[in-house]
Amino acid sequence: MTSFGFNRAIRRGVSTAAAAAMLMSSTAFAAPPVDLSKWSPEYVRSIAGTKDFDTAADCGKVTPLDYKGRLTFWYQGVFEGDPDLLRQYYKDFFAAFRKTYPNIDLQEQALTYNDLLDKFRTALLGNAGPMVVRLQILGGVEFAAKGYLQELKPEDVGYSTEDFWPGAMKSNMWKGKTYGVPTNNETMALIWNADVFKRAGLDPDKAPATWDDVVKYSKQIHDKLGIAGYGLVARKNAGNTPYRFLPQLWAYGGGVFDEASPNPNYSKIQLNSPASKKALQASYDMYVRDKSVPVSALTNQQADNQPLFLAGQLGMMISHPSDYDVMQDLKKKATGSDLQKAETVIENMRYGLIPTGPDGKRAVVFGGSNMHILKPEYVDGGKVDQAAAKALICFWTSPEWSLKMAYAGSNPGNLNGFKTKWMKERLDKIKFLDVTTSMLPYGIPFPTIPETPEIMNIVVPDMLQNALTGSMTVDQAAEDATKKIQNIMSGGKL
Amino acid sequence: MTSMPSNVATRPRKSIDGWRWVGRLFLALMLFYTAVPMIWMLITSIKSGFAAMQFPPQWWPNEPTLASYYKLLDPTSSVGNDFLRFFWNSLFVSVSTTILAVIVAVPAAYAFSRFDFPGRKFLFFTVLLRNMFPAVIFLVPLFILMRLLGLVNTHGSLVLTYLTFGLPLAIWLLKGFYDNIPHQLEQAARIDGASRFQAFILIVMPLSAPGIIATAIYSFIGAWNEYIFAYTFLNKNDQLTLPIGIQRFFSENTTDFPGLMAASFMMSVPVVVLFLLLQRYFVRALTEGAVKH
Repeated sequence: MTSFGFNRAIRRGVSTAAAAAMLMSSTAFAAPPVDLSKWSPEYVRSIAGTKDFDTAADCGKVTPLDYKGRLTFWYQGVFEGDPDLLRQYYKDFFAAFRKTYPNIDLQEQALTYNDLLDKFRTALLGNAGPMVVRLQILGGVEFAAKGYLQELKPEDVGYSTEDFWPGAMKSNMWKGKTYGVPTNNETMALIWNADVFKRAGLDPDKAPATWDDVVKYSKQIHDKLGIAGYGLVARKNAGNTPYRFLPQLWAYGGGVFDEASPNPNYSKIQLNSPASKKALQASYDMYVRDKSVPVSALTNQQADNQPLFLAGQLGMMISHPSDYDVMQDLKKKATGSDLQKAETVIENMRYGLIPTGPDGKRAVVFGGSNMHILKPEYVDGGKVDQAAAKALICFWTSPEWSLKMAYAGSNPGNLNGFKTKWMKERLDKIKFLDVTTSMLPYGIPFPTIPETPEIMNIVVPDMLQNALTGSMTVDQAAEDATKKIQNIMSGGKL
Repeated sequence: MTSMPSNVATRPRKSIDGWRWVGRLFLALMLFYTAVPMIWMLITSIKSGFAAMQFPPQWWPNEPTLASYYKLLDPTSSVGNDFLRFFWNSLFVSVSTTILAVIVAVPAAYAFSRFDFPGRKFLFFTVLLRNMFPAVIFLVPLFILMRLLGLVNTHGSLVLTYLTFGLPLAIWLLKGFYDNIPHQLEQAARIDGASRFQAFILIVMPLSAPGIIATAIYSFIGAWNEYIFAYTFLNKNDQLTLPIGIQRFFSENTTDFPGLMAASFMMSVPVVVLFLLLQRYFVRALTEGAVKH
């Protein structure tokens, strides 16, 4: 089994972590329920299971439990492919909410990850939105800036701003006002197949330390075994692409703007900086020069890499801890010789920290989701039931449910969730959870500007595709993307 | 017993020329091209989730299972409950669209074929106007219209939309068919005392049955498979149709391939059955309506 030396990595990264904690906030935070400066796997274990919470009692103070009302709600749901455990928690959540608030008529609608933003935009054009929406972390500011959302802060639903990750709160801010409450926050990790590493002549228990190593390892795997080394994704209009390219971009010292700096102001585009071009060059080297990544990378998203990885056709990829759970589910449903193969794949799964850049900088996208309340004029029926909306948000963002709803693939948005007994149980149950919680202090939020979804989902993948297809050189692709962002920022369209 | 004429028995077998073989090869390739994805869909649907992700692929599953089908057809499971509801919704929308399309297209096509009225040609080409634009440009305007009509989140919005898209072709198809039915047949019926309506119902309608069936199949398949309008107009889980519903097998980081393939296979069953049962009418209508006798 693997020994990752997380403690060593974390100790080494204490200053980095502290700096990163600063990174995630432009304002000083008062007394959060956990000590972010001490963040490490040991610290997370030490606080898990130390506090009990009564969700119904807490939310009853926000909206009386006998309140009668009606609520429409859209969210990125969990579906048939998601781990059974997660689907069960979602089911339990809605059952628990209905039991706690029996007089609120909740009409929820689950939407898939890649469709939620587009469908929400269309609904808003027809003033047919839901009263409450849960959006991916990069979505909220766009809608706040367009005036669709009501101001909403944790205090409105019974919590304190300090109960949430500073970076997550920042993703809800537009022009000094807060428009949402975080439900969950996550950072990804590097997953690799130990057997593939071994057969390719690499240390099976050691992750590539730097992104340059990723390029090198990927080539070695491809040259020796004829399979893809690294699971590059460059699909357009899919959130998976920026989540996997930006850690690379930041590690090399680049950025879209200055989002990786302690106090970003997003005024200068840096996608054409030498550091950013180096990051793009690394992708180019893997795809074009070494041909060591899946040839379908231009249309791949993470769901396409997973089968390759599980079939032993891919050496390493960036992903969630949920991949381990998905694998466990698949194993549970396999029989005979398939079961044996599945067990072998699980035995060979290894998780490690995301590689650093040449100067030791480690970064990852600070992901997650937030809940927002819409203004009545954009809602189907023209009315928002405020009390019912707050009851639901209080319930979902409670320590209990923000943990349970993020059980398999993410982390609680409410920091108190780390103190619950369910966190303790989760640490014992979910292998590799230490890795992804260890990555949290390295998390960098997407730029909190309304143009972020367009930049991340269209411009960045376009830049990758232009370079990787050879329609532009790396320099030209970076300059082209910079021009597009300039155009978007000055009010133009793509 | 009659003996076979000797000239038939001794007739030399006609040699098959090279072009015929090229044609056969082409047809075989086309059959392969269209059938293989279907066969692969079926094979994947009886694999376990893990087996579906194997490479090299298991051409025939080592451990075949019908688990995905049981899951989809089990009304007590959340997946099965949803799938069966989506199936019913699709059936309701498609059958409603089909019935209305036939009710509207049959008299409209008959009128265009038989009556001479002011603006006939103009109107006839106007029905095609909508088909000159890609459907997607009507998406947001239709969504706003449906909202004004209070039809968002109702199946009525889909039926109305599918009619606007399906009727032009249905009317064209049927008009071609009516053009080929001799006027004299109706005239004979009129002479025998039938009213125009009776002549239409009793003489023209039975003769145009293949055209009507083709129109119905066309409307049904169009409504059954439609995705983008259903995706935009419906926001409630209990209203969704199958093309939207099967999207749920894709998640952020993973895909349930056997479930997806089983659902796709089951979704294709009604269309395939309908087409197999009525294909001779469909082909007849397309060929008879296409040429003027």
